[in-house]
Amino acid sequence: MQAVFGSLALGGPSLAVFDPFEIFALPFMWRALVTVVILAIAAGIVGLFISFRELEFVSDGLVHAVFPGLVVGAAVGGTAALLPGAVVAAVLAAVLFTVLERRGGVSADASIAVVLTGLFSLGIVLVSRQEGYVSQLQELLFGSLLTVTDTKLAQVLAVAVVAVAVVLVTWRAQLFRAFDRDGAEAAGFRPLAADLLLGVAVALLVVAGVQALGVLMVIALLTIPLAVSRLLTRKFALLIPIAILVPLLAGAGGLWLSFEWSVGAGAQAPPGAIVVLLLVAAYAVAAVVRGARWAVRR
Amino acid sequence: MSYFALAALELTLLGLLSGVAGTLIVLRQRSFFAVALSHATFPGGVVFAVLGWNLLLGQALFALLLVLLMTLLARIPGQGRQVTSGVVLAFGFALGTLLAGLNPGLGVPVEALLVGSPLSVTEQDVGATAIVLVASLLVILAFGRRILFHTFDPVGFASAGFRSWPVELAVTGVIATAVVVSMPAVGAILGVAVLIAPAAAARALSDRLGWIPALSAAIGVLGGLGGLWLSRELGIAAGGSVGLVLTALFGAALLVRALRRAWHLGRRRTGRGPHPRNFATVEGSRAVREV
Repeated sequence: MQAVFGSLALGGPSLAVFDPFEIFALPFMWRALVTVVILAIAAGIVGLFISFRELEFVSDGLVHAVFPGLVVGAAVGGTAALLPGAVVAAVLAAVLFTVLERRGGVSADASIAVVLTGLFSLGIVLVSRQEGYVSQLQELLFGSLLTVTDTKLAQVLAVAVVAVAVVLVTWRAQLFRAFDRDGAEAAGFRPLAADLLLGVAVALLVVAGVQALGVLMVIALLTIPLAVSRLLTRKFALLIPIAILVPLLAGAGGLWLSFEWSVGAGAQAPPGAIVVLLLVAAYAVAAVVRGARWAVRR
Repeated sequence: MSYFALAALELTLLGLLSGVAGTLIVLRQRSFFAVALSHATFPGGVVFAVLGWNLLLGQALFALLLVLLMTLLARIPGQGRQVTSGVVLAFGFALGTLLAGLNPGLGVPVEALLVGSPLSVTEQDVGATAIVLVASLLVILAFGRRILFHTFDPVGFASAGFRSWPVELAVTGVIATAVVVSMPAVGAILGVAVLIAPAAAARALSDRLGWIPALSAAIGVLGGLGGLWLSRELGIAAGGSVGLVLTALFGAALLVRALRRAWHLGRRRTGRGPHPRNFATVEGSRAVREV
């Protein structure tokens, strides 16, 4: 394992510790931190229904579906058009997956898997037609938390606000739908409309998160915060606050750690990966806590 | 053997494999498991690429490790069924990304690990695929009837005095090894396309269980070779091209099914067509009677 973590060992004792306030005063670090805060709040609110409705696989499908949208957006209008392209693809895919999921029956999960890989293939094929194939692909797949510009930050904020607004406006219908589908329908709520709007909200959250974490790791933002808070508490009122706090801490901690590692030890530590690993660590701690509580009670 | 012929051979073998493994995934509704498994191979590939060991071995080991982890975490109460897959997937990708980022000079083939490169498969990869194909055929020959019984009527299977775990183990083994050997050609993200899409298309086309494996194998070989040819003609990424062609075939199969259904409905309305038979499904007891 020495080879794998080779550059880690280099930094060992000579690691300089920077003051967190100084680090986040740097413009690019400040923008990264603001992005993390926006994403944490949006993920906590929208993620509640991903968790309640068990939409994890559909979310994974949406993540892959956003990819060709990013590629087309980049090809048409450069980096400024990345997000608009992704929004279009995400909304189309949200409708497609909602229909596939509702059709239910035998091959719903196979259909989702095929559509997911098909859309991703489309993205790969489109990206391979362009110059600078590999570097562009890597940026889209792994995100670039540290190169968030003011324009991108504004775009992320706008998309996240719309996603949260969609969920908040349809809050009662979504909650009713999640716990009692037939009851919601009998009470006059339209489940298809609720499903479609939730799909769109999740898709928009994916779009906002892709900038920071990339296509591969944004699934962490969608699923882990709520998984942690559902493990830690059974009180409904605490679910969302915990789900916002967890990615907030992981995000800030991950940024700080990545800065320390990159500047102090001279390694290239991708901040997105560290943020996600911290989120996974939070889940592991919550799982142990839950497991211990469960064991004690028995 | 030229690299193009080798790629064609590999994709043919994978197409045939989709007749066995893909059919199992689709009929037993294990798609999310297969997707998670294929994604989970990524960090293993990175670690073994950094160490300079055999990629396929690393991917197989990590897939095994993460699947075990997933099963373990799923036992914690109070969570949805898909949560652990999401967590484990995120973990795998983040770990792979971090390790690849920390070792920039070592030439970790990140892109090949993710989306595959059919044109750079080696003789060993093809050999491994062939071995897995033969082994899965043997498993199906030996346990085929039991697997079918268990798939369509798990309660009846148990009450008939059979134990479930050998079947589960055989099925999971076939699916997992098939996913792993498809990695060099189509990568961690598109890996499942080459297995699931042909079987899902066959499932949409045929109402006869006996036809699904053969149809799936035919569609798989056709899609694989078609995608390879298209990538050469148009100069696009081979892995992506294969995935796209297979998805298109699945879409075409859905269209054929819809048209046939409309035609049958029309015939039935005029009183000439045969009575429609219900198709075998995993859910519900209705299917069991029909089979």
